[in-house]
Amino acid sequence: MPPVSLLIAIFFPVLGAALMPALGRRLGPRTGWVALAFAVVSASMVASFIPQAQDAHTHSWPWVPSLGLSLTFLVDGLAVFFGLVVSLMGVLVMLYGTFYLDDHYRDHGRFYSYLLLFMAAMLGTVFAGHLLLLFIFWELTGITSFLLIGFNHETDASRDGARMALLVTSLTGLVMLVGIVLLGQMAGTMELSELLANPPREATGLLNIVMLLVMVGAFGKSAQFPFHFWLPNAMAAPTPVSAYLHSATMVKLGVFLCGRLFPVFQQCEWWMPLLAIVSFGTMLLGAVMAFLAVDLKAMLAYSTVSQLGFLIGYYGMAPARGVDFDYLHILNHVFYKGSLFMVAGIVDHATGTRDIRAVGGLWRRAPLLAVIALIGCATMAGLPGTTGFLSKEYMLKEVFSAFTEHRILGWYALVAIVLTSFIKVAFSARVFHGVFFGPETEAVKHHFHKPPLGMLVPPLLLAAACLLLGLMPSFLGQSLATLEVTGLHNHAHGELHLWHGVTRELLASMALVAGGFLTYAIVYRIHLNDHKIPALLRWDVGFQRGLDGFGRLTKRVTRWLRSDSPLDYLPVMLATLTLVVGGALVRGVGASLFDGTWTLPDALRSMTAGLIIAAVLGVMLLRGWIPQLLCLSVAGFLVSFYYVLYRAPDLAMTQLLVETVTLILVLILLSRFPGSTEQEECLRPLGVGRRLLNVGLSLGVGVLMFTLVAVFSREPPANRVGDLILDRTVPLAAGSNAVNTTLVDFRGLDTLGEIAVLVITTLGCLGLLMRRKRTREEYRAGAKGPAGMGLEQAGLEDQA
Amino acid sequence: MIGPRSWIFQVVVRFAFFIINVFALYLLLRGHNQPGGGFIAGLASAAALILLSLAIGIEALHRLIRVDPVRMAAGGLLLALLSGAGPMLGGAAFLTQFNWHLHDLPLLGELHVGTPLVFDFGVYLVVIGICAKIIFVLVESTEGLPGLVVEEERRYSSPLEEPIEERPAAGKEMGRDAD
Repeated sequence: MPPVSLLIAIFFPVLGAALMPALGRRLGPRTGWVALAFAVVSASMVASFIPQAQDAHTHSWPWVPSLGLSLTFLVDGLAVFFGLVVSLMGVLVMLYGTFYLDDHYRDHGRFYSYLLLFMAAMLGTVFAGHLLLLFIFWELTGITSFLLIGFNHETDASRDGARMALLVTSLTGLVMLVGIVLLGQMAGTMELSELLANPPREATGLLNIVMLLVMVGAFGKSAQFPFHFWLPNAMAAPTPVSAYLHSATMVKLGVFLCGRLFPVFQQCEWWMPLLAIVSFGTMLLGAVMAFLAVDLKAMLAYSTVSQLGFLIGYYGMAPARGVDFDYLHILNHVFYKGSLFMVAGIVDHATGTRDIRAVGGLWRRAPLLAVIALIGCATMAGLPGTTGFLSKEYMLKEVFSAFTEHRILGWYALVAIVLTSFIKVAFSARVFHGVFFGPETEAVKHHFHKPPLGMLVPPLLLAAACLLLGLMPSFLGQSLATLEVTGLHNHAHGELHLWHGVTRELLASMALVAGGFLTYAIVYRIHLNDHKIPALLRWDVGFQRGLDGFGRLTKRVTRWLRSDSPLDYLPVMLATLTLVVGGALVRGVGASLFDGTWTLPDALRSMTAGLIIAAVLGVMLLRGWIPQLLCLSVAGFLVSFYYVLYRAPDLAMTQLLVETVTLILVLILLSRFPGSTEQEECLRPLGVGRRLLNVGLSLGVGVLMFTLVAVFSREPPANRVGDLILDRTVPLAAGSNAVNTTLVDFRGLDTLGEIAVLVITTLGCLGLLMRRKRTREEYRAGAKGPAGMGLEQAGLEDQA
Repeated sequence: MIGPRSWIFQVVVRFAFFIINVFALYLLLRGHNQPGGGFIAGLASAAALILLSLAIGIEALHRLIRVDPVRMAAGGLLLALLSGAGPMLGGAAFLTQFNWHLHDLPLLGELHVGTPLVFDFGVYLVVIGICAKIIFVLVESTEGLPGLVVEEERRYSSPLEEPIEERPAAGKEMGRDAD
């Protein structure tokens, strides 16, 4: 199989993303079918790698050879497993989105464009074979996630959620970059295949720090404590996005990274305590918050946080010989959480609300939906016959064996897992019972419309997978075993079985299920259903306050440094300049400045200098802006005479023309001001002290400049660039005007940059000069829409 | 500008406008070997434009120059960029310049041509376009006219934004499950 199929798998969705906006305008809600086709092609390409996933293969294309960066992709079982999860979930989500984003939504093209781009970024991340490439794709997933969360950018919640997700994931990503660079330095390579084959063998201080830095990135992405708060706020995204990014794929990247770098970091002495303490803590916290939330999607989001905690902690507690059933736990979560999110979206779609208190009794109205949700919730609770049961059995088994090995950590993990499982059963019951049983609420009675059948297909498929694979554990175990990776996995683990006899895991599991149901029954009886999350746990609110406070702080600083009152900040800058440069000059040159002989220049130059001095005195002494401006201009023209004397005709000409044009422009500008401004009516009068300070500063800067010129002109520089250019202008640039050949040839790039800056500045000034800005509605109407001039309104009304 | 317009001034400027522009072109063409060049030529042309606007009034000038000067500037930038990017097709570095010395041309005799002239012409267009735009906007607004016509306002205006302090109080409840 040529590796071109890998490029197709990753970059074909990018092509689709480029096409979607144009298609979206034409096709509207049907754009999803085209996006689905792109996802299917990509998924089939990923699937074609299954047969060769036993061994690791590296495929490399050169990219930026000067940085030693190439498009290196590592194809092994872990990459193919995650690639399959990403691409197949992508197919299901595109299908689901086609029904979810109906005519009520706008910008279908944009939506699928972002979604395909995200899919490409995810595939790039999991297949990346170079740490820097992994980081680039990693951040790209964060950016596309930002765009997707903020898809309904008219609402505050979307914008805030998107900003929070971007800030948290990209800042932690930057910390991770530091870790990656350090890791590359330590190992001497950033190629993952070499790194995994020869991990740095020192388990001492530095590798611990590197591991910590990299794990901060993983914790941020996977919403682990203390970054857990962004994920529930990301639920402002449309539900297909939540099902895809924020439960099944992107948030699993942290888990993926732990798995990917497991052989490197497992030896660290901090690895186990860090991952176990943070992640199992997050797991318990997430479960508690999921039980307390009332928004259906927020409940699922907190439970995702909880499950991600378990997955990361699982890698943390794993022994050095390798992990056993991580794929099972990941896949189990993908199945049930994906299907439950889709169910939540359908409930939202059908009733118009996601508040669990505002829905109920959907059982009779949507029986198929209830069956899907039942399977999903049963899997979440870990009832027998589902993949959830398998996952829970093996999880308990490993924890029971682990807590004898690692004393305190083992106890901690055991307590956290038992409590979490218990709460999970309770809120699985709560989700299912709250939505599908109980009395029909107002929202259901008035708004309910039957979901389209096609919308039920993707969650149905996921639920069927939960059930069928749960009943065929040996088939599941064997398929997953083909994707196992040496170094990460323990190949010697046994097969999956449904029935082990009456073991302590089974008993514990039964006790947990019974306890969970009982708890929910009690909570439901005593109407504790209306509880809310205590303010102590609402870190997102605190984060938002911090952001607002930061905004106020920057505003205050900006006011203080604002550029429209130079009287406030210019003295500081000038004083600093005089003191620092002047001080250096006194220390460096000192009294030797007065050593040489001072001669007056010839008559012509002296006269010109005298005239310039007279003109400057005129600027200081004359009253009225126009005379002052004219004097300043005279000084400028006289300087150009100096250029003539020193035989620099180009400079002289430029100076003359610039002086002319600016003089006219400033004159035009001055005529804008009313006469009273000129009489300094508007200025507050300056005190004597301030005036003295200004005079002192002016004199200081003047003396400084004079001294600098005197120092620099005392002896000619040893190596003159000018001579070099003069020598080469004819042979190299075929022109005898050295100034012009410098401008267009030797330093052509500078000139190009300057004219680009000119154009950009002008455009910016034009925008600033606009007296009236357009309102959002007008702006959204596009370039051809009504301009913000009040004048036009009359014309519009006439037409209407 | 405000004030009575002199007929003599108008007639002189109408002539001078062309003379200055011819001189500007001369400066542009000789730039590679003699004092001159795109930047100076652009400034000279801009000075000619200013004179013309003083003579015949800004509105008449606006009617004369139908194309938006910013487009002219953008075109100049594009030209300079393309003249720099052209050599890349042949594998040369960005902004490589070529010169030819042609002998025995009919009518012209010897001629020295080169790609720097194209680049310089781009600079010329940028300078003249930007100066012209600034003149138009400033003069119009000092005469009490709107600085930009409605068509341009659509092009350059940005959407209205609320100042930060007018937003609702900070720390607003953001979650959906806090009630």
